Parts: sequence; C-alpha cells; structure tokens
Amino acid sequence: MVSEYNNPRNRKFYFIIAIIFVIVTLIPMYVLIIIAFAVPSQTVAAYYPPLFPSQFTLSNFIGAFSGYSSILQAAFIKSLITATIVGALAVALGFHASYGLSKMSNRMSALIISVLFFSTMIPSLTIAIPISVSFLKLGLYDSALGLALAQELVVLPMTVFMITGTLQSLPKQLELQARVDGAGFMQSLYTVILPLAKPGIFAAFLLSWMMSWDEFTFAVILSPVHPTLPILIYIDSTARGNILFASAFALLVTIPVIIITLVLSKFIKGNYLTSGVTG
Amino acid sequence: MVKWRNDEWIALLLILPAVLYVLILAFIPALQSVYGSFSTLRAHNTIYNYQFVIGTFGLSPIVNTFIVTASALGLQFFIGFVVASLLSKPFKGREAFSAILFLPFGVATIVTAVIFHDIFSSYGGYANTMLKLLGGHAIDWTGSFGTSLLITVLADSWKNTPIVSLILLAGMTTIPPDLYSQAMVDGAGTFQRFFRITLPNLAPFIAIALMIRGISEFNIFAIAQDGLFPHPLLTTMTYSLFDIVNPHPSYASATILLAFVLIFAFFVMLYRSRSSKVS
Repeated sequence: MVSEYNNPRNRKFYFIIAIIFVIVTLIPMYVLIIIAFAVPSQTVAAYYPPLFPSQFTLSNFIGAFSGYSSILQAAFIKSLITATIVGALAVALGFHASYGLSKMSNRMSALIISVLFFSTMIPSLTIAIPISVSFLKLGLYDSALGLALAQELVVLPMTVFMITGTLQSLPKQLELQARVDGAGFMQSLYTVILPLAKPGIFAAFLLSWMMSWDEFTFAVILSPVHPTLPILIYIDSTARGNILFASAFALLVTIPVIIITLVLSKFIKGNYLTSGVTG
Repeated sequence: MVKWRNDEWIALLLILPAVLYVLILAFIPALQSVYGSFSTLRAHNTIYNYQFVIGTFGLSPIVNTFIVTASALGLQFFIGFVVASLLSKPFKGREAFSAILFLPFGVATIVTAVIFHDIFSSYGGYANTMLKLLGGHAIDWTGSFGTSLLITVLADSWKNTPIVSLILLAGMTTIPPDLYSQAMVDGAGTFQRFFRITLPNLAPFIAIALMIRGISEFNIFAIAQDGLFPHPLLTTMTYSLFDIVNPHPSYASATILLAFVLIFAFFVMLYRSRSSKVS
C-alpha cells in the first residue's frame, strides 16, 4: 500500500488504536462471563462489584438449570426449532429465488430485488401486531411454526442477496456444458449449481439460523406465553428481576452464536451483504 | 448467464414463492396496520387513534427516536470509519484483530442489553466501581435523559458497529491505492485525502450501511425495552399500546414508525442517486 503505512511510527500508532478497540470490545464479554461464573456476592449482589472477582462457582448455572429446568428446556427447544425452520425455509426459498433471478432480464430482476429490499424497510413492530391478530385466528399464535414464519421476513431478503452473490461467482461453463449435454433446467440446477453453491448456501443458513436465535421483536409479540430464549432472558432481567439467571441464560444463548460467528467470519465479507444492492 | 427457451418462465416460477411470501407476510400486514390506524372498534375513517396516541404520549416518542437514531448513527459511522481504515492497512495480527472486533455481531441484542445494564446500573454496577476507583462519584446511569441516551447508544453501537465497519471496509478495498499515492505526491494531507477521495468513492457503500443501520435504529426496541432507555420511543410506545383485543391505537403508533422509516429510506436513496451522478 501507500508508503506512509510502512513508517514504523505509524505502524505502532495503528497497533495501539487496534488494541484499544479490542479492549473495549472485550470488556462487555468479560462482564458477562464473570457474572455467570463468579459467586453472586462478588457480582450482582455487590453494590460496587469488584472488577476482578476472586471466587468462582458453577452454582449460578446449576441454580438456573435446576430451578428452571422445565421452562429453560422448553425455551431452548422452542428457539432451536424456530431457528432451524427459519434457516431451512430461508435457504429453500432463497436458493430457488436467487437462481431464478440470475436467469431473468436485468429489468425484471431489479424490480424483484427492489420488492424484496422494500420489504426490509417495514418495521417488524408494524407488521407483528396485525400478524399476531391473524395468527390468533389461524391457531399459529405462540407456536414455533408461526414465529418462524414471521422471523423469515427478517432473513429472506438477505438470504436472496447472499446466495445471488454466490451464484454470480460460479463458473458459467459447467452449467452450459450440462445443458448442452441435455440436462434440463431443474436438473442442472440441482446437480450442477447446488453442489457448487453449497458454501454460500451454508453461510446463508447459519446467518438466518443465528438471526432467528437472537430475534426479539417478533418473538415478544407472537410468542409471549411459551417464550424463546431471548424472551426468557428479557423476562428474567426485567419482570422477575433475576439478573443472575438472566446472565447465565445469556451466556447459554451467546455460546452457539459466537461459534457460528467465528465460522461465518470466513464466509462473510462485506461484499456478500452488498452484492444484491450494488451488483 | 446461459439462456434457453422457456427459461424465463421457469425462472419466474422459482422466484414466485419468495415474492408471494413477502407480499403476504410483510406488505399485506403493513397495509392492515395503516388501514387499521384509521379505524376504531366502532368507526372507520377517523383520526381518533392518532389523537389518542399523541394526546397520551405527546411528541416525545418521535423526538426521542430521532435523537437516539442520530446519535447512534454518528457514533457507529465514526468508529466504523476508524476501524475500516485500520483494517484496510496491513499490520501484524490484523486477522485476529478483525475476528475479535466481529464478535459482538454474534451477541444477541437482548444479551447486549443485559450486559450493559450490569455495567451501567442505576445503583452501583461496574461503571460506578470504576468511577469510585478513579475517585469520582457514582452516577445513576438510567436516571437522567443524557446518561440513559449515552448508555443506550453505547450498547447499540457496541453490537452493531461491526456491520458498519465491514461494509465500509468492503468499499475501501474497491478504491485503487494509486489515487492515494497520487494525492500524497500532490501534497494532500490525511483529512483532505479522506474528504476528497475516501468519502466520495465510498458513497454507495455509505448509503447501504446508512440504510441498514438507520432503519434498525428507528426500530431500536429490545435495548430500550430492557430498561436502558426508560423514555418513550416510537417502538416502546407501540409495544405498550399493543393489545390483541383492540389493536387500533397501536396501529396508529406503528404507522407513524413506518412513515418515518420510509421517509428516512427515501432520503438515503436520494443521497445515493445524487452521489452516483457526481462520480
């Protein structure tokens, strides 16, 4: 790059700024971990909790699990089912739509992309309330399937953009070859395109899964009686005032997502997110 | 891409499910919300709901939403630019640095709210422990408008700045380095290079980041609802009016939210189209 960056003094400067950002990023994670693992008298029960607690315990987790096991289990399973439906549906709808988009005239695909893009502008709260009224009539209210159907709206446009970006990067010759050899449209889609696009589809699935796992707005309105994990945390931290359990649950919610984020950081470059809009 | 006869029709059929999905689950409920906002249980074509909402809450939810959105966007873009410029330079440990900075993206919004509530409590808490160690006085963080705004914006930005950095970084990699070296030969300073080269060339990426983050900021909900921001916002007002038996007042509130989001999106698109004409 430019010669200025090779200057050792500048390099040191960049490094120091980078370290500061890393520390600021890690402090909240650190607080979450010590509240989950340190004895309560040194964290939430202390008026001025010490920055470096000295006694650690697993009893916060054991307490959260044993005292709440049935509620926690139900919330965990509900989150898991909902997120998996959201991810699977997103990939199924998104993959076909993306492939269709790649076969359309530019004007038509631009129109469809803008319809999808426009749907992301509608606030979840604005549509969650009419949806809750309809779901109540349809018997989908408070169910994992109903919640998944609503959360799908948050992830579907993004999934289409991501998979579209993946499809654009595939070599065109292979598909052409398959068609010349007599493969039909759908056959070449499943036997040639699908295997090639797997990494991008997998990344889209993980991202959708993760966004559903974290989703709050639809979950609090459409599924308040049998809550998902984020809503359980919300109820514990506000209504029940149980910060300790909320923190233990929070760590439980965070661990799988952190793992997914680390996996995704290889897949997700900014251009994935922007390809549908700039491309 | 490869095109065969009838492909366009099959392509359309492949896209149809995704498009129908957002039409049925996003656009129709949004229209229901707008239509319902002008009805009550007894009357139609009335502005009673709006009068009720404004009469009960005043204009402060609208003003507060704007203040939170503007502050959060300001902070996220400032840090986003700094982080993206850092990451666009080669330095030791850049990969590890970007992996760590990306971590908060994987922490659920409600978890972020819980953590920041533990740090910035009304009484005691980690931030106050720090203040005491430094010889200051404890602060009731949620007590005043200014401090609750500060902690809300900090919590929201901690989680969401990575996505801004990521998009800006993707944009920075598209700027040819020659432009910078030429500008330096011509004697342009750091700030001049930023305003004359980086900013104009990044316009489409800034527009995308602004769109994604701006819409989300108008919809900021979980963090405020969890108690970090006890003052009314358009979202928390909508939620507090939410009632399945008589959803009409919440429809009015939700419609105001929708209107502001659409106006915001319109201005971002205007900025994008104008900036693309210049470059």
